[in-house]
Amino acid sequence: MRNIPDKNVMLFKSCLVSGEYPGVESSTKYVFDKVGIEYIADDRQSCCTGLGHYSDVYDQFSTTVIGGRNFNIAKKTNHAKIAMMCSTCYAIHKKVAKLLNNNEKVREDVNNVYEEANLSEMKYEEGSIDSSNNIFHVIELLYNKKDEIGKNIKIDLSKFRIATHHACHYCKIQYEDAIKGFRDPTILDDLIKSCGVETVGWYDHKRATCGAGFRQRFVNRDLSMKVTSDKLLSLNEEKIDILVHMCPNCQMQFDRYQPFIGKELNIDFNIFHLNIVQLIAFLMGADPYKVMGIQTHTVPIEPLIEKVK
Amino acid sequence: MDTLKIDENPLDLAEKILKDIKSSEGMGLLKCIQCGMCTSMCPGARNSDYNPRDMIERVLEGDETIIEDENIWNCFYCYTCHSICPVGNSACEVNQILRQMAINKGIANDKVRPFTGFIDVMMDLGLGKIPSIFHDDLTRDIGEEWKEKNLHLDEIREELGLKPLSMPKESIKEIRSLLKLTKLDKRVEKINE
Amino acid sequence: MIKMYDTKPPISPKLDLRVGVFICRCGGNISDIVDIEKVKEFINAEVVEEFENLCSLNGRKIIRDSIVNKDLDRVVIAACSPITHEKTFQDYIQPLNPYLMDMANLREQCSWIHENPKKATEKSITLINASIEKVRQSQVVDPILCQTPESAAVIGAGISGINAALSLAKQGVKTYLIEKKASIGGNMVKIGKVFSPVKLAEECGMCLLNPIMNETIWHENIEIMTNTKVLSTERRAGNFNILLESNPRYVDEKKCISCGKCIDACPVEVPNRWDDGLSMRKAIYKPFSQSYPDAYTIDMENCEKCGKCMRKCPMDAIYLKGEKEITPLNVGAVVLATGHKTFDPELRPEYGYNRYEDVITQSELGRIMGVNGPTKGKLKMLSKDQVPRRIVMIQCVGSRDEKPDGHGYCSKVCCMVALKNANIIKHKYPDTDVIICYTDMRTPGMYEKYYKHGQDNGIRLIRGRPGEVNKKGDCLVVRVEDTLQRKFTEIETDMVVLSTAIEPSKGSEEIADIMDIGLTEDLFIKETHPKIKPVATDVKGAYVCGTAQGPKDITDSIMQANAAASKVAEIMNDGLEIEPFVAEIDDEKCNLCEDCISICKYKAMSIKDDQVYIDPMSCSGCGKCLTVCKPRAINIHGNIDEKIFATISGMLKDKKEGERRMLVFLDQVGYTAADNIGVNRIYYPESIYIIKVHSVNRVMPKHIIYALENGADGVFIGEYPGDLMYQEVEKKMNQIREEIKEHDMDPERLQFSNVYIPYFRGLANKFKEFDDKIGAMP
Repeated sequence: MRNIPDKNVMLFKSCLVSGEYPGVESSTKYVFDKVGIEYIADDRQSCCTGLGHYSDVYDQFSTTVIGGRNFNIAKKTNHAKIAMMCSTCYAIHKKVAKLLNNNEKVREDVNNVYEEANLSEMKYEEGSIDSSNNIFHVIELLYNKKDEIGKNIKIDLSKFRIATHHACHYCKIQYEDAIKGFRDPTILDDLIKSCGVETVGWYDHKRATCGAGFRQRFVNRDLSMKVTSDKLLSLNEEKIDILVHMCPNCQMQFDRYQPFIGKELNIDFNIFHLNIVQLIAFLMGADPYKVMGIQTHTVPIEPLIEKVK
Repeated sequence: MDTLKIDENPLDLAEKILKDIKSSEGMGLLKCIQCGMCTSMCPGARNSDYNPRDMIERVLEGDETIIEDENIWNCFYCYTCHSICPVGNSACEVNQILRQMAINKGIANDKVRPFTGFIDVMMDLGLGKIPSIFHDDLTRDIGEEWKEKNLHLDEIREELGLKPLSMPKESIKEIRSLLKLTKLDKRVEKINE
Repeated sequence: MIKMYDTKPPISPKLDLRVGVFICRCGGNISDIVDIEKVKEFINAEVVEEFENLCSLNGRKIIRDSIVNKDLDRVVIAACSPITHEKTFQDYIQPLNPYLMDMANLREQCSWIHENPKKATEKSITLINASIEKVRQSQVVDPILCQTPESAAVIGAGISGINAALSLAKQGVKTYLIEKKASIGGNMVKIGKVFSPVKLAEECGMCLLNPIMNETIWHENIEIMTNTKVLSTERRAGNFNILLESNPRYVDEKKCISCGKCIDACPVEVPNRWDDGLSMRKAIYKPFSQSYPDAYTIDMENCEKCGKCMRKCPMDAIYLKGEKEITPLNVGAVVLATGHKTFDPELRPEYGYNRYEDVITQSELGRIMGVNGPTKGKLKMLSKDQVPRRIVMIQCVGSRDEKPDGHGYCSKVCCMVALKNANIIKHKYPDTDVIICYTDMRTPGMYEKYYKHGQDNGIRLIRGRPGEVNKKGDCLVVRVEDTLQRKFTEIETDMVVLSTAIEPSKGSEEIADIMDIGLTEDLFIKETHPKIKPVATDVKGAYVCGTAQGPKDITDSIMQANAAASKVAEIMNDGLEIEPFVAEIDDEKCNLCEDCISICKYKAMSIKDDQVYIDPMSCSGCGKCLTVCKPRAINIHGNIDEKIFATISGMLKDKKEGERRMLVFLDQVGYTAADNIGVNRIYYPESIYIIKVHSVNRVMPKHIIYALENGADGVFIGEYPGDLMYQEVEKKMNQIREEIKEHDMDPERLQFSNVYIPYFRGLANKFKEFDDKIGAMP
């Protein structure tokens, strides 16, 4: 079993969270503070390369060099428990840790690059960051505090039909580490349950990707939209009110493109998209604009807030 | 009719893939029995001519034309195949390696050129913003509000108690020098040729 | 330099013993190369005789007469290999104890491998002298004869256990058939029909099983103990002391007449496990109508103790207060027939077993199709009273699946089970479309005909492993790629049947733990050798059969059950004669630290009555325990240590200036390989001197250092990699190399190599290379 930390945490900033849904970061900090997770964030941390990496422009070695640098920041600030808000950041760093620990040649080559760049202090020491025990998704830290979360809930959502969208890069890449399964992942469902609400659980296409597909959204839009609409249609059939996310890229795919797909298919999708931390912050009574950051959403969240009132 | 020549080893391609830095340790590529479970759950296969099982078959046959096959560019990197393959193979990783082979052969520049913007932003800011080349398309599909949001991002962040997006200059310099040493700039140059 | 060992052998020469040496010419096989006269000249013994064919009856006379007339204490036979004739000469030296004789191998390991008569003659002298020194250290030891009680316990009363018990009983062995559940019968009672590949038909399983069950019940040599499990066992040379714990039935089986009035009275309903939970039963119940014992029983986990059944029972057979009963049992052998369970389909949630009523397992389909099942044999969907229009079967659920919770192995029976159920459906409901989604259809031998029969019946096959089952409208949808057509397909269906993997039962794991029996990586009970010892386990006297050992069908289970029974009969009828070179413990010195117990790879040691007990049946004499025994309380019969020292000393004694001598230690396997070199007349250097040991693990660092310090130019140790001790020995070699270095010698003088009996040429090459290597050293 992996040990889930609640201190010495480095909250790893995600480019998509920062640029698309900054409310996910403020909500994470809000919830961390409420449930007592000790963390830092560090400005020196860079992008994990994920979006470019999975668009094939980065080579694995460059990504590994960048990952090793970020590990170094976590270690030297004594916050080597790295928590990700984005599932691709999570997967990228797990892969980097495995490569640096298990592939001697890669480790040597990476360390040579640091040395050549006069950054010898960055040199990676075998085993200093463990894929399973140093790299986490924010939701894992929250799952570990689910009783604490339950105690802080102020809003009842039980009249809504809620479904979950589990991020592929959390569940399926390092699937051995996924808490609460990967064939029918339920970590989000369980977290929501601890907020006093039942989700619908399984639905058709529950495990399917959001459809972003990295390059697909940008250069193969029709294919990308087809996959997203498969899932939206299934959610619509289940009369889902809220789809809960754990990855900014998935959230972007559904939230940004739901109106577009609706127009194409001539269907009025009425599904709200919220990240799990936004949802929890909301249920704890956080401010929609100052904490949840709903002003950056494409599908307006205001009607949901109205309904709750 | 095909002849399998006596001195031909069709597994050369598979073995090259297994040695690639992207291959997970112990990947079961050679153990594939073509059960098709990958294809049965593949979003690319569901909606296009991409077929991960067939791709693996061609790799195991040593058919190098798979590298030039347009269909490999339809994989979503969702790793569903990777998570369910009964023999521990990963069509998703094989696909990524094939695409890298195509890039290294110089036959995929058109495919990846639009994304070099990710590297430009990384070199300039240390971040991974959506490249500006896509902004018009996104604004068209998503709406003007999206563009507005980008323009006012720092204000929104401030409202949320978050600092503006920026990295210390020293850090950006580090990133730049590291990525030059990994010859990423050369790679981008080649792609942009 | 650290001086750790004496240069003198730590043994006394025992010069007062009278040794006779008998040299065999072997019809020229030896004497054509070896100058026997010269040999005789250089042998120093009380008697030195030669003969043309020592193994003949005349040879026996010469040997016996000399022993008696010359009052010999020890005998050396210089002839062929002990592998060929040791037993013969052990017999010929009577009245001397058989272990007071040693053989110098002048044929396979001298005259057949060397061309130069002078060198071969000199080597023969050395070999004989070494044997003389060795035999002087020999002690009188007697073979251990183990008598086992003529009784056996069979654990698990499914089809395998029942057959094993029956076979044992018919061979006159008193057999205890122990079953944890309330009735005997196992999984087979549930499956309804069984297939007959030859008749291309399905037959009633219960009709086949019932006569065998009855025979078992009535056989006077079988005692059936249901509701009973093994608590603990101890073993002592074929003697198993078992403690059994029996749960009360709460119904006196002698009084119960199975009238069934109690069930009408019982208010508690629970899912009926016999019907895989597809029907309900009461808390007082009979597992199935042909159960044995033919009596009701109460499931106390669910009973509310209302007493209503007691009031209804006309025979006054029910009692609600019962105690667990502990029974001791002493048997000579144990047969493990603890069966299997099936893979939990919830572990592949994408198939929707828990979500959709009409996703079921093959076992549940078997119950539905069974005339004694929940629908009385009528095929119906579980969600509604309707015959399914289509059924899709998904193969390999949990089998051939290396993902978490899956099993890498093939469950072997599922293809046939699916075909059987599909055929039954096609016979009775020809309008129902049956599709089997498979990866490979595995129907070896005659089963292939049944497969073709199924295709003839209209069963359809799609080659593809489905990824998911979902509900769309009022249909289930199976997502699969038809890999032969390269087509991604969604199959609409009314019912989905999962062919779940066969897995080791809990009972197997428990009994393995209790008896300390080895398990395979898949947690089935492990055979000693999967190829040639398919029913033996690593505990002597304990055998395995049926699905406890691995997935298999009824026929194979019965065959293995009968094989296990005859293995038991072998020890019962023949008794056991055991080589005496096993460990013995001095209880005075033993401090019960149990280090020996944990280190023994043969599981020969245990605690018995507060003392360490060494089971001579299991002990191999490897000597590993000696190395960990701090109070030096363990000894191995037969002075093995001393004999090794004496042989080394003898092999090196007459070494000349400039001559090279390498000592080679081989056990039975290696020695046989070396003999094969001779039989095939392949030459290797005269400098190679082979010493046969019981186990190469008995060659201690002190022996090796002693040899190297006393003239040996190199030491070569060969071991068969399949030997249980192989890794142990390999590890030890590195330590010894370090010690050699500490003694200022080149560690390369010690070589460790794999040996295989058929690969004798390789061994000869290794000898040559070793000779070259040592020769090149300064």
